[in-house]
Amino acid sequence: VALVRATPSPSQNISEKLSESIEHAKEVCSGDAVSGECVAAWDEVEEMSAAASDARLKEKESDPLETYCKDNPETKECRTYED
Amino acid sequence: MASCTVYTTHSLSSSGTISKTSIGFLHQSPLRPENQIIFCKRTTKRPNSLSTITCSVPEYPKTVVIGLAADSGCGKSTFMRRLTSVFGGDAAPPKGGNPDSNTLISDTTTVICLDDYHSLDRNGRKVKGVTALDPRANDFDLMYTQVKALKEGKAVEKPIYNHVSGLLDPPELIQPPKILVIEGLHPMYDERVRELLDFSIYLDISNEVKFAWKIQRDMAERGHSLESIKASIEARKPDFDAYIDPQKQYADAVIEVLPTQLIPDDNEGKILRVKLVMKEGVKYFSPVYLFDEGSTISWIPCGRKLTCSYPGIKFFYGPDAYFSNEVSILEMDGQFDRLDELIYVESHLSNLSTKFYGEVTQQMLKHVDFPGSNNGTGLFQTIVGLKIRDLYEQIVASRAGATLETAKV
Repeated sequence: VALVRATPSPSQNISEKLSESIEHAKEVCSGDAVSGECVAAWDEVEEMSAAASDARLKEKESDPLETYCKDNPETKECRTYED
Repeated sequence: MASCTVYTTHSLSSSGTISKTSIGFLHQSPLRPENQIIFCKRTTKRPNSLSTITCSVPEYPKTVVIGLAADSGCGKSTFMRRLTSVFGGDAAPPKGGNPDSNTLISDTTTVICLDDYHSLDRNGRKVKGVTALDPRANDFDLMYTQVKALKEGKAVEKPIYNHVSGLLDPPELIQPPKILVIEGLHPMYDERVRELLDFSIYLDISNEVKFAWKIQRDMAERGHSLESIKASIEARKPDFDAYIDPQKQYADAVIEVLPTQLIPDDNEGKILRVKLVMKEGVKYFSPVYLFDEGSTISWIPCGRKLTCSYPGIKFFYGPDAYFSNEVSILEMDGQFDRLDELIYVESHLSNLSTKFYGEVTQQMLKHVDFPGSNNGTGLFQTIVGLKIRDLYEQIVASRAGATLETAKV
């Protein structure tokens, strides 16, 4: 079965990078758990996790109608009048 | 251009004659050494009531600087959204700039993320074996220079640390705002930067809660497991304890988030005990109190007037010492189920710096979807936001007063 994927969303991209950096951190720390290298690797994981969660939140928050109305404020479904 | 207004009252004169005033005079600003000229336009509304002189003063430093310190993933962004909401208007990234910019701009407030002052990018830190928490990975000279320039009313070209790529992107132009918030890991680390802050806040999340929050945030991610989340927290802890945690002694307000005491052995991190530690004697900042200022009070609002579901709500208020500073502590344990509980609580708190009855509740209601809206984190963040608005208004008023004084001489 061939899997055809659409262009990955930004959050998917970051997620992939994140799982790579987790693997990397585990690898680096298997030798020495207190080395600067190991600590820096886990710090990178934390930074990527934060970026991934931000990206996920952004995607979740975006309302399809709101997004459409930003570009097309003159359409019937988007018009709002102050009074 | 800022404008100031001078009112002159004509005392008891029934004739309503108005003496002539000069249309321009020299003005020595206390904040800038050079002389400035104020141009005045005089308008008389009614013959013998008030005459108004409107003066335009060349813009002088008016930026109030607020520092917010917290570890990553500890709710800084939620706090920021609550704060900008108190001032009104939406906060958004700079228009047309770098899509990965960390800056948020609203009408009154500009929020800068201090990660932008990383001196080493992600790869640089990896090579040197240091974390982002390490002062060696940050450029405090540049941080000081730029925050100082913004406070003095000058625009700066601030670098951008791209959290997605881990690289330092080309700088963006930041205009001096009315209120500048610098948020990140080290707003109070460098003494020079600390001196520039008009108010400082530290978000202190206990290890148990931090762990629970990070599980909620990260467990859905592929590759992340309990072990990897734990390992990441453990690895960063020595640097956190050495460089970040000590900053809380300088904070004017600390929000501590702890596991609840209402449920024995709770480690879900869903129900929280939140403490608001407020320093006494800070200019333009008067701590909030419950019932009676300076007493020690334990209060359970649930009873005949208020029904609460399990495990209920418990408040505490009292004076205390914090890093040899005199402080007032307001504590809330538990969570709200319904809105009427919050208005009931708000009506018993004093010194909230609200502009009308129920403003705290209204602010909380605006953002029911934000994390922490049903517990002490949201409540205390909102209160601190109102306190900052009050502080800002007092500082601006006192500066206007000072200008008026010098203008009279």
